[in-house]
Amino acid sequence: MSKKLFKKILVANRGEIAVRVIRACKLLDIPTVAVYSTADKNALHTLLADEAVEIGPPPPRESYLDIKKLVETARAHKCDAIHPGYGFLSENPLFPIACEKARLTFIGPSAEAMRLLGNKVQSRIKMATAGVPIIPGMKASGDNIFQFESAAEEAGYPVLIKAAAGGGGKGMRIVHRREDLAPSVEAAKREAKNAFGDDTVYLEKYIENPRHIEFQVLADDHGNTIHLFERECSVQRRHQKIIEETPSTALTPALRVQMGNAAVRVATAAGYRNAGTVEFLFDKSGSFYFLEMNTRIQVEHPITEMTTSVDLVVEQIRIAAGEKISDYVLEAKQRGHAIECRIYAEDAENNFLPSSGDILYYQEPVGPGIRVDSGVTKGTAVGVEYDPILAKLIVYAPTRELAISKMIQALKDYKILGIKTSRKFMIDILSHPEFKAGNTYTNFIEKHFSERTVDLIPALELAAAVSTVAMAQGSKARPTVVKQAEGLSPWQTIGPWELGMRINK
Amino acid sequence: MINQFAYNEETVETKLKTVPSGFEVSVGENNYFVSEIAPGNFQVILNGAKKMVCCVVKGNRSYIDIDGLLIELEIPSDDGDMASSAAAHAVAKDKIFAPMPGKIVKLLVKEGETVEAKQPMVIVEAMKMENQVNSPASGTVKKINFKDGEQVGTEIPIIELELPVL
Repeated sequence: MSKKLFKKILVANRGEIAVRVIRACKLLDIPTVAVYSTADKNALHTLLADEAVEIGPPPPRESYLDIKKLVETARAHKCDAIHPGYGFLSENPLFPIACEKARLTFIGPSAEAMRLLGNKVQSRIKMATAGVPIIPGMKASGDNIFQFESAAEEAGYPVLIKAAAGGGGKGMRIVHRREDLAPSVEAAKREAKNAFGDDTVYLEKYIENPRHIEFQVLADDHGNTIHLFERECSVQRRHQKIIEETPSTALTPALRVQMGNAAVRVATAAGYRNAGTVEFLFDKSGSFYFLEMNTRIQVEHPITEMTTSVDLVVEQIRIAAGEKISDYVLEAKQRGHAIECRIYAEDAENNFLPSSGDILYYQEPVGPGIRVDSGVTKGTAVGVEYDPILAKLIVYAPTRELAISKMIQALKDYKILGIKTSRKFMIDILSHPEFKAGNTYTNFIEKHFSERTVDLIPALELAAAVSTVAMAQGSKARPTVVKQAEGLSPWQTIGPWELGMRINK
Repeated sequence: MINQFAYNEETVETKLKTVPSGFEVSVGENNYFVSEIAPGNFQVILNGAKKMVCCVVKGNRSYIDIDGLLIELEIPSDDGDMASSAAAHAVAKDKIFAPMPGKIVKLLVKEGETVEAKQPMVIVEAMKMENQVNSPASGTVKKINFKDGEQVGTEIPIIELELPVL
């Protein structure tokens, strides 16, 4: 890199995505400033950045969502750019506006593009005009329940209530019967208000058993708007993706070209710049509909990185600095197969209830083609204030079959103790014959895993046997945190334990 | 050394014997040979078959990972009493607790109301998701200890029920 793209970047996020951005900045030799709430004082992202600044108490509104505080922090610490990550302020048009006023570069699209695409109702209308296929439904959002009722009658049940400002499954409800419509609209409005500060919801026809296929897009200031192929994100729970893969088993080369072109058309129509994702629903007949465009880097971006060798965060930063998309990116090809599993702190056996607590044991899997994007480590306290995503496990292999078996093994080797995670559940999904056959669709989990029970009897015996030994060896006595502050070498404080087996008591 | 563990309603008893290179643990009719090969990492051999198991003990709980399957065993305290907040919650069907600390989004029942088992009682928001808590049993709502919008922990029940006398 001949010249520095930015002097210093403030990373306005937390968790694994903040860590991911910091790592990309390190590659580009750009120093970073991390921000953290009091709950995240010892979080991984604050430890990895060159500087870390406390910005407030745990509630996001008073810390990670406080635009004024973030911009002031960036100015005070001599940053010239801000990366928003995903979630939080990443799709809030007020953020790039505030950055511009403070002469900071916002690493993302313009406020105008964000505003248009962030509103699902407006973007639907715009994309229909640009000749991109959309799902039948309400032309505009409604205020009273009668508008929803008549739109639902017209589209035919089941229908889907969606937040105009939505994302991540929040503020979204499927309605099968007329009598469920009013309470669902109410619940969706409440969730939307909480998550996005905007309670506008609308209704569209619910496409049954669709696949969710999205295209990664990049656009620069030099007239280049390209796509980097698709990601299939059909395996979801509570409308939230948990397993993503690329390429999609549903696409033929001809469909890939068609949808890729449509994605580029969406970005162009919106005057889009930087990295973004165009999401489509894909139905059984092979028709596809524009769903929305996400104006940020996405959780599942690593699978595209694995199959194209493109570093998307590096490209985001380059584009924001006014550079042309790199030549290697313009020529990128899709090769091999990649899968991502989101590691959530949640209880898959108990309706995906979020799980909180301290991470008592942490060990990442290793091997060729295995990548872990993590925001946690041993000792991290997982609280209830933030999204339950802890880490992402990504694997790459030459074929889909090999990628699946590699992922299953990597999930087994990924050890996180102290909180519940969905690793075992994901192993079961990946081992399911329908998944192996590539027959995934958005209600895959409801259909194949609604009555899931895990046979625990032999496992329980095994667990009891090991626990007995762990107790007998007095695991509690072993120091888990070794402080060097006292002037001691860590080896002196560990005792006879860390190196192997204990000599008999 | 004899140990007892509880998982939901099952109790497992183990007998431990120290042998030169590790431990022999008998559970029911099975004899496991266990050795710790790295901190928290255990090798288990049963009838010649090997398994790697990860385990940490904290407080009265044991956290175990067996090929991605997570099991939490509760360790009875010295007086043999299994009482802990979680176990007590599971038994008491007349008290409805928040599944985890969070905010009450909406109470769906009123004091004095008759409710059915599995009827939605309250919506609690935690980690930015709404979680619906259903009634564990049929009965009458005796007392509601919180209001909409209030923060709730897991120690005080949100709702107390009066159960019919059987």
